[in-house]
Amino acid sequence: MSRAAIQVEPTAQAPGAVAIRGVRKGFAGRSRKSAGRLALDGFDLDVRAGEFLCLLGPSGCGKSTLLNMLAGFSAADAGEISVDGEQVRGPGPERGVLFQTPMLFPWLTTLDNVLYGPKARGAERGAARAEAQELLRVVGLESSSESYPHELSGGMRHRAAFARVLVNRPRLLLMDEPFGALDAITRVAMQRFLLQLWERDRMTVVFVTHDVEEAVLLGDRICVMSGTPGRTRAVFDVDLPRPRELELTDTVEFAHLKRQVREALEGSH
Amino acid sequence: MASTTDTQVGAAPLQAAEEQLTLAGGRRGASYSRLLWGAAGIVLFLLGWEALAYLRDDPVILPTVQETARTYVDYLARRYPAAVGDTLWQHALVSVARIAAGWGVGVLLGIAVGGLMSSVPLLRHLIDPLIEITRPLPPLAFIPLFIVWFGIGETSKFLLILVGVVPIMIIATVAALDAVPRELEQAGRSLGGSPLRVLLTVRLRSALPSIITGMRLAMGGAWTSIVAVELIAATSGLGYLINNAGVNLQTPLVLSGIVTISILGIVFDTLLRLLQRAVDPTHR
Repeated sequence: MSRAAIQVEPTAQAPGAVAIRGVRKGFAGRSRKSAGRLALDGFDLDVRAGEFLCLLGPSGCGKSTLLNMLAGFSAADAGEISVDGEQVRGPGPERGVLFQTPMLFPWLTTLDNVLYGPKARGAERGAARAEAQELLRVVGLESSSESYPHELSGGMRHRAAFARVLVNRPRLLLMDEPFGALDAITRVAMQRFLLQLWERDRMTVVFVTHDVEEAVLLGDRICVMSGTPGRTRAVFDVDLPRPRELELTDTVEFAHLKRQVREALEGSH
Repeated sequence: MASTTDTQVGAAPLQAAEEQLTLAGGRRGASYSRLLWGAAGIVLFLLGWEALAYLRDDPVILPTVQETARTYVDYLARRYPAAVGDTLWQHALVSVARIAAGWGVGVLLGIAVGGLMSSVPLLRHLIDPLIEITRPLPPLAFIPLFIVWFGIGETSKFLLILVGVVPIMIIATVAALDAVPRELEQAGRSLGGSPLRVLLTVRLRSALPSIITGMRLAMGGAWTSIVAVELIAATSGLGYLINNAGVNLQTPLVLSGIVTISILGIVFDTLLRLLQRAVDPTHR
């Protein structure tokens, strides 16, 4: 994927602002005797419009639960979650979701995967097709538009998943450890890819990770969570210059911030 | 201990690479040689049959291959029973029609019930034990019951095929739908698909290849039970032909009927396999 490729006019709508107020979410215990587990209790969080927010925490701290509620896959037991003042009631195309694995539809070609959203919304066919092809070019998959997902490499599948979400022009991008299952080399390439994409579109991003370096490299702000029930342990502003390149990870400022975040995270166990 | 783990870890990618090589370079060659060996197996079987037939020298117990083939070709145009009956092909068509009706309805019924069971837990708890109870029962066991309830017409034959098809289809459908990852449906919903659209274009679509596997198994089951089905006061059909020719000690004709069932079974399974290939790009 060439770096020059990502210089097209932004396709995103105005970025969305997220407000999370006093959210509680519990899961039932396995038997009647064992008590249910509270994943989140009285959780508050604001994400500014156009902000790249990283949710960092150990597994079981409720960060994925929170993301699922933001996506509208599950409802909070109490409290409120809203995007641009509108309460989240279910999944919707204005909130794009990227899962840990790309979750492409294996029976559709790359292009038809990207076209799933426009077709579901009843978008005009020709325009949607042109836009999908343009996005595939942006993510460097123009020559693979007729390939099926199993014919693509791991990184290509992730990029196809990005194109499939971006074609909906989401105001909010929700990512649940999207690069967690990738090998180290592809992972770095995907982080660079995401940074370029975000420089282009500047939509609001909520990015769940358990990798400190990834959080510092990508985020404007890092919310360190501790469980159970999940609470905000600390919030860090990442005042590193943008656009960010991978070379940033070698600087003293980066190392310093990384240590602070790691200490906050370790204190949370 | 540490060293063994190392070799194991190192061996896995190597094995994968090797597999890829054979797939890329030797796939066509391997499938040709497999075909050749398969043909050799059939020829050996026919030779063995021929040798036994000559040793035994009794066409009622075991006719020769040529005699069976002659009978087969002969009855393609000749009626059985003589004058009032049908030719071999007409018998075959009758059986195909019975199977098409029973299998077709059974498949639709099985998918509908399986789909409901997969989405409504209460229904699943309700129906699951019933399937487990009826599944091991041979269709033959229902013949007297169905005759008492529905007489000796086509209804009993139709229901008997259903008994063989529906449980297989229900089990296959439930398993296929259960195997669809939740996140795949969530992806469809968050891309803007309505619940109904995602149900049809993601959940069912994703399960389709496995459901077709169930359809193939059910088709096999339907053909296996055709002889039993046509024991019920039939005057036509391959099962009837086999039963009746057997009673009259026309062994070559019995064998001709068996060969016809086997050919039809292969043809229908091949069609379903082609369908499966068409809907599942990962199996091409």
